[in-house]
Amino acid sequence: MILLQVVVSGLLMGAVYALFSSGLTLIWGMMNVVNFAHGDFVMLAMYAAFFAYTLLHLGPAVFIPGAALLLFVLGVVVYLGLVRHIARGPMLAQILGTFGLALVLRYAAFWAFSANFVSLPDTLVGGTFELGGLRIEASRLLGGVLALVITIGMHLVLTRTMLGSRVLAVAEDRQAAMLMGIRPDRMQALAWGVGAASTGIAGALIALFFYISPTVGESLALIAFVVVCLGGFGSVPGALIAGLAIGVIQALSAYLIGAVYQDVVVFALFLLVLWIRPQGLMGTL
Amino acid sequence: MLLEARDLTKVFGGFRAVGGASLDVAEGEIVGLIGPNGAGKSTFFNCLAGDNPPTTGTIRFRGQDVTKATPEAHARAGMARTFQVPVTFEDMSVAENVMVGAFLRHGHRAAARRVAEEVLAFTGLDHLADTRAGSLGTPGRKRLEIARALATEPVMLLLDEALAGLTPAEVRLAIELVRRIQQRGITIVIVEHIMEVILSLAERAVVFHQGRVIAEGAPRDVVDNPEVVAAYLGHHMKRVRRG
Amino acid sequence: MKQWPLVLLGFVVIAAWPLLTSDVFLQRLGALVLLSAISASAWNLLGGYAGQVSVGHSVYFGAGAYASLVCFTHFGWPPIAGAPVGMLVSMLIAAVVGTPTFRLRGHYFSMATIAAAELARILAANVPLLGAAVGLMGPPVPRSAWDLSFISPIPYHYLFLAVLTLLLALTWQMQRSKMGFYLAAIRGGDRAARSLGVPVLRYKLYALLLSAAFTSLAGSLYAVMIGFVDPDSGLGILISVKMVIVAALGGAGTLFGPLVGAIILIPLEETTNAMFGGSGTGVTFIIYGAIIVLIARFRPGGVADLWHSLITRGRRGAARGA
Ligand SMILES: Nc1ncnc2c1ncn2[C@@H]1O[C@H](COP(=O)(O)OP(=O)(O)OP(=O)(O)O)[C@@H](O)[C@H]1O
Ligand SMILES: [Mg+2]
Repeated sequence: MILLQVVVSGLLMGAVYALFSSGLTLIWGMMNVVNFAHGDFVMLAMYAAFFAYTLLHLGPAVFIPGAALLLFVLGVVVYLGLVRHIARGPMLAQILGTFGLALVLRYAAFWAFSANFVSLPDTLVGGTFELGGLRIEASRLLGGVLALVITIGMHLVLTRTMLGSRVLAVAEDRQAAMLMGIRPDRMQALAWGVGAASTGIAGALIALFFYISPTVGESLALIAFVVVCLGGFGSVPGALIAGLAIGVIQALSAYLIGAVYQDVVVFALFLLVLWIRPQGLMGTL
Repeated sequence: MLLEARDLTKVFGGFRAVGGASLDVAEGEIVGLIGPNGAGKSTFFNCLAGDNPPTTGTIRFRGQDVTKATPEAHARAGMARTFQVPVTFEDMSVAENVMVGAFLRHGHRAAARRVAEEVLAFTGLDHLADTRAGSLGTPGRKRLEIARALATEPVMLLLDEALAGLTPAEVRLAIELVRRIQQRGITIVIVEHIMEVILSLAERAVVFHQGRVIAEGAPRDVVDNPEVVAAYLGHHMKRVRRG
Repeated sequence: MKQWPLVLLGFVVIAAWPLLTSDVFLQRLGALVLLSAISASAWNLLGGYAGQVSVGHSVYFGAGAYASLVCFTHFGWPPIAGAPVGMLVSMLIAAVVGTPTFRLRGHYFSMATIAAAELARILAANVPLLGAAVGLMGPPVPRSAWDLSFISPIPYHYLFLAVLTLLLALTWQMQRSKMGFYLAAIRGGDRAARSLGVPVLRYKLYALLLSAAFTSLAGSLYAVMIGFVDPDSGLGILISVKMVIVAALGGAGTLFGPLVGAIILIPLEETTNAMFGGSGTGVTFIIYGAIIVLIARFRPGGVADLWHSLITRGRRGAARGA
């Protein structure tokens, strides 16, 4: 029974991982650029949610879309101002560019919000209830389910709509897409916006049940990288499966070995997989 | 035979890029490999050079089985190649690019430098020796790739469309260069779309179509082969006729 | 190299530095610049020359720092005696971790190095032998000259200068030899390099082993001077990031790039730390971040690149004048 409880909470967390990893995978698969500031995007969204609640007394129904909008704008701005210029440059420049951005965001948050941990009240969404013998926090349930729905929605938009197929066409072959009259720059800006917006939603959802601090993005980013590598670059379904798997593995190792080792298990597993299959679990690269 | 490739196939996912192609090359020959776009010529080259081992089949080079050997082992054994899309080391100068090749057989800087200078003079690149490779245009890069390959002192040279994108005058110079390379005793396999090149250089032409060899023989005869003509459509056909 | 007089002048200034001033802050600054130049130059062997951007070099730095203080804490050795131990351990880790990761390309490689470093940090924070979260201390008072425990920064300055000189001499030699050409070819592209007979994996490993050994030495020197290491100061991700930034600012893959980067960044860091006190680290990293964003956006080649274009422009100007 306890094991089931652990697995369920792992799945709920995993759905949120899947959501913010889909943003990363979209960008990565699309233009082969890694956003090292991805975790710090999550952190910003968490603070946005926190201040929306504490200063403006806005509820989740407002601050979740609000965070999405804010991050959409940030994503587009970062693309136009920085990423567009470094995307086809040397590897080192790509890494430095987004890593530098990560440092600026992280330590600006340190400066502005102090290093203290803050959190939203537990009771903001429901509290805890029992379901068939399982104790589930309403905030985590909301987070997990909403994340799942949005991730699947993103996949459907990408694969079933005109706009989605244009985005994928640019990812597939920039030149060919241009010949078909698609403007790659716009599509890539859009992908950055959407990727960041999904990260924004994920951040606001995590804020409902997780502590918030300037460095929280660091460990979340590593998780996202693991999820993307395992799920295959550019694959939203891959991110979904890998995200859920990582959530469960973390929860199980925290329960069986101890909470400090949950990330050790994840990273060790990640390295192991990379060594056995350098192209990722589901990747074809 | 210097090179014997038997029944090579290369499958990508479910797609057969090369399906049972064989090729024998004797020492000192120039063999031309032709075929429409997507016929599998480059893929076949990559198999021969160890860049991407074949799914099935065997390759023997100078009597050794090299089917699964790495590209660096091929280079050491005396097989050099150029790429269809040139990949020069852009941050290095032209001379330094060539020295990388020369270091394969000469461990010392001074010796490698000497070999590089000799190759640069031979390929007519000596006046560009100190230019950054990244600032060369496509013709320069293609020539640099040939020079770099020659610096490894190969027995056999695989040229993948080394003359594509050149002006007619540059093509004539390149043809003359390939001849001089052959005179040095280096065996050459050349992929080329320009018929003029194959007709004037190759002693034997091999035609690829959909991953298979559909014709083989003297370039003149091969060009008139109805099956070959059928394989080329549209503008390719015209090019063949004109040749 | 036509810039020998300049190099010589630079060397003389650096060598004379601590004697030119009696301000301990400035003397200490000199030593810290050299230490940072050592670790960034060590990173440069792999990240700059071979183009394999590691963001996990804190593993080797930490191995060196921890080796020194573990040898002191558990065996009573002078901390510097732990340096060769750290170098050996680092090379071992490099061989075990490096061989499989080198098959990974580009971002995958960087990602794997980060994961490995993070793994090491979490483990160190939970192993009592390594002082767990509290960390390890060096000798509180020097027991003999071998403890290399001095109040004045001057002895450290010359120790670090000697190591840096050795490292740069070695790098210079390497750069001109077959290995230097092969690493540059690897940076230019694996596929083309292999077609010319470059055994890519083997040379990447050589570069990594050399790089790991000297990064580890930098870690040991750090531990000897500071006399303390904990998971964050020895194995934190910022340690790795700083090596990358310092080298990239000066010019990755150039001989003096990392030294130039350290001369620019370390005084900046120490000054902001002194100015803003505890919150200084935050400001430092905002500035660091902004600097590398700007480099990436406008000058991926770093200061070295700027220097070259200035020189060529100067030459062209002179030629026109003549
Ligand atoms: N790595 C790969 N993965 C999947 N398919 C590939 C790969 N490389 C080549 N192909 C496919 O194999 C077929 C043969 O390609 P190849 O490049 O060998 O043709 P080619 O004869 O050299 O053509 P061209 O004259 O245009 O250079 C093409 O349809 C190509 O799309
Ligand atoms: Mg081809």
